[in-house]
This record gives sequence, structure tokens and C-alpha cells, in this order.
Amino acid sequence: MQTEWFSLLPLIILATGGSVIFCLGAFLRRQESTALLFGLAVVTCLASGGSAVSFRNLPGQLSGLLAIDVFSSFYTVLFATITLITLLLSYQYAKNRGFFGDEFLGIILFAAAGMVLIAASIHWLPFFLGLEMVSISLYVLIAMRRGDSLAIEAAVKYFTMGAVASAFVVFGIAMLYGATGTLDIMKSLDVGGHVDNRFLLLFGLCLILVGLCFKISLVPFHLWTPDVYQGAPAPITAFLATGTKVALLSMFVRLAVYGGDSVGAVFAPAVWIMAALTMVVGNITALAQTQIKRLLAYSSIAQMGYMMMALLAFKHQGPAAVIFYSVVYAFTDLGAFGTVGLLSPNNSDRDAIADYKGLGYAQPAKAALLTLCVFSLAGLPTTAGFIGKFVLFRAALDANFIGLAMIGILMAILSLYFYLNIVVVLYMRPAEKTTALKTTGNEAILACFLIATIIFSLGLFPSFTLTVIEQIVDHISNP
Amino acid sequence: MIVSYGEVLGLAVCLFFMGMICVATRRNLIMILIGVEIMLNASGIAFVGAALRWRSLDGQAFVLFLMAVAAAEVAVGLALIVYAHRHTGTINGDKYNLMKG
Repeated sequence: MQTEWFSLLPLIILATGGSVIFCLGAFLRRQESTALLFGLAVVTCLASGGSAVSFRNLPGQLSGLLAIDVFSSFYTVLFATITLITLLLSYQYAKNRGFFGDEFLGIILFAAAGMVLIAASIHWLPFFLGLEMVSISLYVLIAMRRGDSLAIEAAVKYFTMGAVASAFVVFGIAMLYGATGTLDIMKSLDVGGHVDNRFLLLFGLCLILVGLCFKISLVPFHLWTPDVYQGAPAPITAFLATGTKVALLSMFVRLAVYGGDSVGAVFAPAVWIMAALTMVVGNITALAQTQIKRLLAYSSIAQMGYMMMALLAFKHQGPAAVIFYSVVYAFTDLGAFGTVGLLSPNNSDRDAIADYKGLGYAQPAKAALLTLCVFSLAGLPTTAGFIGKFVLFRAALDANFIGLAMIGILMAILSLYFYLNIVVVLYMRPAEKTTALKTTGNEAILACFLIATIIFSLGLFPSFTLTVIEQIVDHISNP
Repeated sequence: MIVSYGEVLGLAVCLFFMGMICVATRRNLIMILIGVEIMLNASGIAFVGAALRWRSLDGQAFVLFLMAVAAAEVAVGLALIVYAHRHTGTINGDKYNLMKG
């Protein structure tokens, strides 16, 4: 197999960018170098995304470890954009709170490289390395803000949960390897002639799925999510809620497409139950929340449930619907958590929903973006969330999961209550106290503009993205 | 092979569940970290056993990476525990309960 080293450029650029920023940070003074390092990180993201676009048609397979094809290029562009928006949103936030520096930027870039690695891997080894790169980076990022008790607690919780989940995944991979003798993801899902190894294979897959469900917080593995999302600094929560989950969903799509025929029937009932539970528990618990980051955390749990529902339809439109919705989800949640960060005063995040009273008039632009994201999460028409939910439910109905789709639709209707409640608080309740916010920097305004454009364009003109995604799914299902 | 793959697998599964019980029952953060390490090393044993079973090097290569990753995880984990201990004065996992709901 011809190894085209430059097909790896998107990954190399991200990793090199992170390393260069660390090296420069050792020599430059912190106060003077923030703009330079920030610029470098932004350029790294752009270069990585750009190179992925230009190499999308390479038939690059790197010694059976990574596949650099349309699937991974699509995800590389997506992760580069997510990282870019996170950087733009967190620049001022982190600077005002005194934790902006080379380590902050470098670690974000390493996490992005890990996400790209997860999406590109066709072998369990790079997948595991990518998963650990993302997780270890995030343990550090969550605790980045010094002296913040909530952030420490969030980091400790995320670390214990994440480490246990990683151990489950690795042990599962070891079992798959023991059963099939290969670490190639596609081959390892099929026992072929060795029927006596089937139990070992299923046991291994069970462990891997438990580990992955921890990481994307499906019920009953979701208990860490609200605490971690509440405790982490808001832009980091945005990164954590979107990047990690989208990366792991790409792995779920791969597993469903590769292993659907051989082991899909065994796991379908479990996934059915988890999807139903996730939608019900996520939405109903969100009803009782009084803090916005916890509410968004439960809402993100519920969104995972919708996606698991569509994943069950892996023989129909399911994978394409999941990929499309994960794009929608990524930008919507980036916008939601990002605006929470932008609306927060310097001492702590603006967390209680009651504190948002009247902000629609005091901070019209940011409140408008928050409203747009909330509408998109609720799935109201003209936003991306509407089209996203539509393709998800259509996939589930096409595959005859009518009961599950009914539960989902009922829960989506129920969820309107708490989403619209945020909008009511923003616009229809008079402000009680006003806290002066520092003026928002241009880079954050650019990020908000990007998010709003993407949400509207996916909502109004989804056909281009949907066609691209269908080609991608075709590509990985017929290698 | 003097020791069959089944026996290696048995040992690995035992160790894995012992590690899991350690994580689930201990409240001391350092003991939880040790439990996770036991789970990771149990997978290492399973990998080496499987590599011998299939006469392939993939599993042994995986173990090398696994050791490096486990070391990185412990480094970050211990740093986090020290930092948390300085701030809150405890390494009892149950004392980290500011957030509820």
C-alpha cells in the first residue's frame, strides 16, 4: 500500500501547531504573546480544515490504520470549524479570567487532533489513541480556571468517569482481538468460521459500547454529564459537549455500518431501550432544571437519544441522518454554551435561568443568538434543528421503529416547554438587576455570526449538505 | 504454550473485575485511580495472551501504546488530585458534591 504522507497533513498540522504553540510559550512573555499565539492557533485550524478539503479525494489508506477519505475529510473540516469557533469564543473569556495562555491553546489543538484521529481510524489502535488524546486534554481544560471549586469538582468527576470508560473500551478491544485475531475495526466485528469465539466477541463489544455510551452520556450512563457541564467554564463546555460527542458519534456510525449485518441484531434491543430511556429521562429531567448549563446538559443528553434512535435504522437512511444531525447539534450547542459564556460576568458563569430576565433588551444580539440556538434545539422550522429532527424521525419511521419514533416525537413536543421558557425569560420578564458586561471582542462576534449563518443555512438549504453526507455514507458502506 | 489462552483470559477478566470493584467501592480518589490502572493492565494481559494465541504482533504493539497512555493518564490524574486536595483539603470522592439537581 502506497503511503501518501501528505494525506495526513490535516492531522500533522494540528499536532505541529499545538507543539509549536507550547514551544513558543516557553520563550515568550505571557502578557505580550497572547494575540500572536491566538493567531497561530486560528491559522492552524484553518490550515488543517483547508488541507482536508483539498485532499478529500485521495484514496489514502495508511497501512490499514487510518483511512483518509471523504468520511474523515468531512469530519476533519467539521472538527476544525468546531475548534475554530471554540477558540474565537474563549479568547476573551479566558483572558478576562486569567487562564489564557499557550497551554490552553495547545491542549485545545491536541484535543482537535484526537478527534480527527477518531474519525479517521479504521483500526482500534489509532481510535484508542485518539480517544485518550481527547479525554486527557479535556481533563486538563476543565480544571484550567484556577481556584474555581465547581471546575475542580467537574474535572475530578469527568476524570474518574472518563478513566473508567476508557478502561472499559480498552478491555473490550482486547476481547475483540482475542476473539478474531485482528484489530481492524471492520474485520474484528465478524467471527466468521470461529463460532466458539462469538461469546467473547459479543462480550467485548458490550464493554466497548458501555465505554462509548459513558462518553456520549446515554441513560443510564449519563449521571456525570450535568455536573461536568455545569462546572466547566462555558466555552470549554461547548467544546466538550460538541467535539467529543460528534467524534464518538462518527465511531458509532462506523460501527453500525460495518457491524450492522453481523452483530446488529444482537445489540438492537439494548440500543432501542437506551434510546428510549435517554429521550425520556433527558427531556423530563430538563423540565425541572433552574440552571441553564444543567438544562442544556440534559437537552444534550436528549439529543443523543434522538440520534441513537436513528442509528437503529442503519440499513436505511439512519447513518446519513445521524451525521447530518451531529453537524446541526454541534453548531447549535456551540452557540448555546458559547452565548452563556459571552453573557457571563467575570466572577462566575451566569447560570441561574432567573438571571437571564430582561437580557433580550439589555444584550439584544447575544440574546438573539441564544434564542436561535434554543429554537434549533427545540426543532422549530427555518432552523437547522427542524431539518435535523425531520431526517432523524424519517429514518426511524422508514425502518419501522414506529413506537420509538412516537416516544421521540412526544418528548420533542414536551421539550418545547422548557426551551420556550428560556425565551420567555429573556424577553418577557423585566430585568431585576443589571450586571455590566465587558464589551464583546470582534472575534466572539465573528463566531456568533458564523454559528447563526450555519444554523440558518442548514435550516433553509439543507440539500447540499445532505447530498454530500449521502455520498460519504455510500463510500464507507461500499469500500 | 504452557499456559493456554483461556487461562490468560481468565486471569485478565478476574483482574478487570477486581479493578472495577475497587473503583466502585473505594471513595478515596487515589484508590479509584489504582483501580483504573488495574483495569488497564488487565487489558494489557489480555492483549499479550491474544497476541500469542493468534501469533501476531498487533496485540503486543497495542500494549506498548497502552502503557504510554496509562502513564499519561496517571500523570494528569495525580496532578488533578493534588490540585483538588490543595483547594478542598480532601481526597474523599464523596466530598465533591457541590453540584446537585
